Amino acid sequence: MSATVENPVLPAAAEAAPPKRPNTLARLLREPAAAFALVLVVLVIGAALLAPVLSPTDPFDNDLSLAMQPPGSPGLWLGADSQGRNMVTRVLYGLRITLLMGLASVALGGGIGALIGFAAAFYRRIDGLLMRLMDIMLSFPAILFGLALAAIFGPGIQAVVLALSVATIPLMARIVRGSALAVMGLDYIEAARATGMSDTRIILRHVAPNCLSSIFVFATLRFGQVILLGSALSFLGLGAQPPTAELGAMASDGRNFLFFAPHIAVIPCIAIFAVVLAFNVLGDALRDALDPRLRT
Amino acid sequence: MKKWLLTGLMALGVAAPAADALAQAAPRNTLVVLREIDADNYDPPRSTARGAGEVIYMMSDTLVSLDWDQRTVRPGLAESWTVSEDGKTYTFKLRRDVTFCDGKPFTARDVAYTIKRWVDPATRSPIRWRAGPVDDVIAVDDYTVEYKLKEPYGELLYQLTLFFASIVDQQTVEKLGANFGVQGFNGTGPYCWGSWSPRQDFVLTRHPNYRWGPPLYSNPSPQVERVIWRIIPEANTRLAALQSGQGDVTQYIPQFAIAGLRNVPTVKLTRQENYFWDFFMGFKVDKPVVSDPAIRRAVNLGVNRNAVVQATFFGAADPADAYLNPRTIGYDAEAAKMVPSFNADEARRVLDEAGWAPGPDGIRVKNGERASFLLYGLQTSEWRRMSEAMQADLRRIGIDMRVQLWDATVGWGKLATQEFDAFMMSYPYISATDGFSLYFDSTNRPTPNRMNWNDPETDRLLRIAKTGLAEGDRMRAIGEAQRRITAANVWLPIAREQLWIAASQRTEGVRPHGIYGVGLYKGLDIRLTR
Repeated sequence: MSATVENPVLPAAAEAAPPKRPNTLARLLREPAAAFALVLVVLVIGAALLAPVLSPTDPFDNDLSLAMQPPGSPGLWLGADSQGRNMVTRVLYGLRITLLMGLASVALGGGIGALIGFAAAFYRRIDGLLMRLMDIMLSFPAILFGLALAAIFGPGIQAVVLALSVATIPLMARIVRGSALAVMGLDYIEAARATGMSDTRIILRHVAPNCLSSIFVFATLRFGQVILLGSALSFLGLGAQPPTAELGAMASDGRNFLFFAPHIAVIPCIAIFAVVLAFNVLGDALRDALDPRLRT
Repeated sequence: MKKWLLTGLMALGVAAPAADALAQAAPRNTLVVLREIDADNYDPPRSTARGAGEVIYMMSDTLVSLDWDQRTVRPGLAESWTVSEDGKTYTFKLRRDVTFCDGKPFTARDVAYTIKRWVDPATRSPIRWRAGPVDDVIAVDDYTVEYKLKEPYGELLYQLTLFFASIVDQQTVEKLGANFGVQGFNGTGPYCWGSWSPRQDFVLTRHPNYRWGPPLYSNPSPQVERVIWRIIPEANTRLAALQSGQGDVTQYIPQFAIAGLRNVPTVKLTRQENYFWDFFMGFKVDKPVVSDPAIRRAVNLGVNRNAVVQATFFGAADPADAYLNPRTIGYDAEAAKMVPSFNADEARRVLDEAGWAPGPDGIRVKNGERASFLLYGLQTSEWRRMSEAMQADLRRIGIDMRVQLWDATVGWGKLATQEFDAFMMSYPYISATDGFSLYFDSTNRPTPNRMNWNDPETDRLLRIAKTGLAEGDRMRAIGEAQRRITAANVWLPIAREQLWIAASQRTEGVRPHGIYGVGLYKGLDIRLTR
């Protein structure tokens, strides 16, 4: 007789697999406030994109007999504004313009600022000149610059976007320059240079990707600030012109009726508050999630 | 419910800061007038701002004054006057008891100097034309002035009631130079220059010798020791200041608050029925799209003035159904009937007949041109609301009105350009000839005749209205001018502002006047009870 002894099979789980690092999104969602902010941002962007579908009425269609109807009136969940336009529609379309204004300003100003930042970090000969130029730009308050532009070109969304873009350039340039300088000191950049890689290739392949997290975090945080500044400029009458719906302009329209119809000012203000808060919390959480020192 | 809520809130606004208000209440025997905006200077011929007029009327006097009806010319510094048969010489007999604030006696030489300075090109007065075609002003003796004209000017006495014609002291003008009305002033008015902190306070002190107030007042002398004109730009803050006792009087009441203020026991509201300050939209008649009379007529038909005015002014203005207020001298009822009333269907029919067919986006098109025009205006909450409401009305008939509102700092400059197709404006006037000469005389292009209205027949009629010797001729001419311009729909009349003055409980004798938009005029009957 022979006895056979089967080789014991080890369960797969028992094999020593390397621990899986949670990705950025998972790390982000671990924080309840960040998760809430992300959901809010997605909802806000979704609502803005789907405004033509979700809006119960035409954004420009008024009915003066309904002017200043309070929230909860028949067919008017959020009431009507001073022109008798549905506030739901106006807020949805207002979100669109406000977000678009923020996006355009951050993209334009951030893009130019990033280019300047990379150039300053990589070409040290022009670093001093570029940074002094950025210092000069930083000394102009965005609101004042917006006022000047509106005086020259006339009030409008373009003037606001231009003012906010210009205000974003030096901030982004400084952030990018700092990050790029840190990356440039690393050995693999030296190695890349030693292999004869071109400047453009080094920036595009090695420096820029390693600065992306800083850029992304700043852009998200800046988005909230830009929306606040843009709304302030519109509140002052420098932004969207009638009949365009924009949250700052809507708040401005409503401030005269605070005694009678507070909803006209309060609702767009709440919308601005929510959007800015969501982007700020998200930016903050992104910074934590992308920081390798905080990874576990 | 809304009314009660508002009243409650306003009452709360009074009660809540009561203790604070007592501490900050306006000083004894000092009238604190709250207003929205300051003026850049207080030199009569150099400023057209209502804010300048408010203070100048109190610091100085005019030869003649205007009664509460805004039609009757009453004595001022001149006790009486005569007009020569050819209408070219006005002889004024002056009061003998008048002195300037510095105690110097007032004489005919001061009148001659003031008028000559006004019309002197070196003064660069923007309203020089209001003095008429001056040939000379002669001090015949100390108390007789001859005002000689190159041609008759039927409007002269009305124009001389305006603050631009306020008598000033030559010595002080020459001493201060360009800073006259900025660093100091010397007039014959019921109050004297105290101090001016631009954009904050203008303090006036009682002129101790003053007893020559115009006969429209019960008192020939001022009743309070000091007047402080205080700037509070924000409407709600101004309202709160009035209710909490930090101010006594204001004419700058936000329209939305007037109905509610009627129910506030601590505030007295009074209205001047004879007040001529109108809002209108004007078309540049030589620009594409709006040069088409059908478009201008359709705009007049397509805008629901009643709804627009109600939504903008909340009952504190009247829809303008004519180019002028019916109480104005020279108002023509026939012309008023020619202003189209709101009728959107008729507007569409007019456009259809003129060949403006609806395009794919609802905006009408004719020969490849869209029925779209650019409107300029000043950035105020009223204009914004008004333009948005009109914009919506016009879109319904297929006209696209693009709106561009400018801050006042650059807006006046923009409104002097040819960049726009239409504009919005509000203005004060004292007669039909005054208003129409300002806006429709071809020599006033490009501003204030921003419509570029260049019609020799209108010019001829306006000339008769101004220079005609017989009143009947003048009235017929200005009536014909009104009918001619109304038929061309050069304007869209929108609203007639109402003049209200809100006063605190401790004030008595506050009565709105409204000359050139100025609510208090000389304020001689105003007194404080505590």
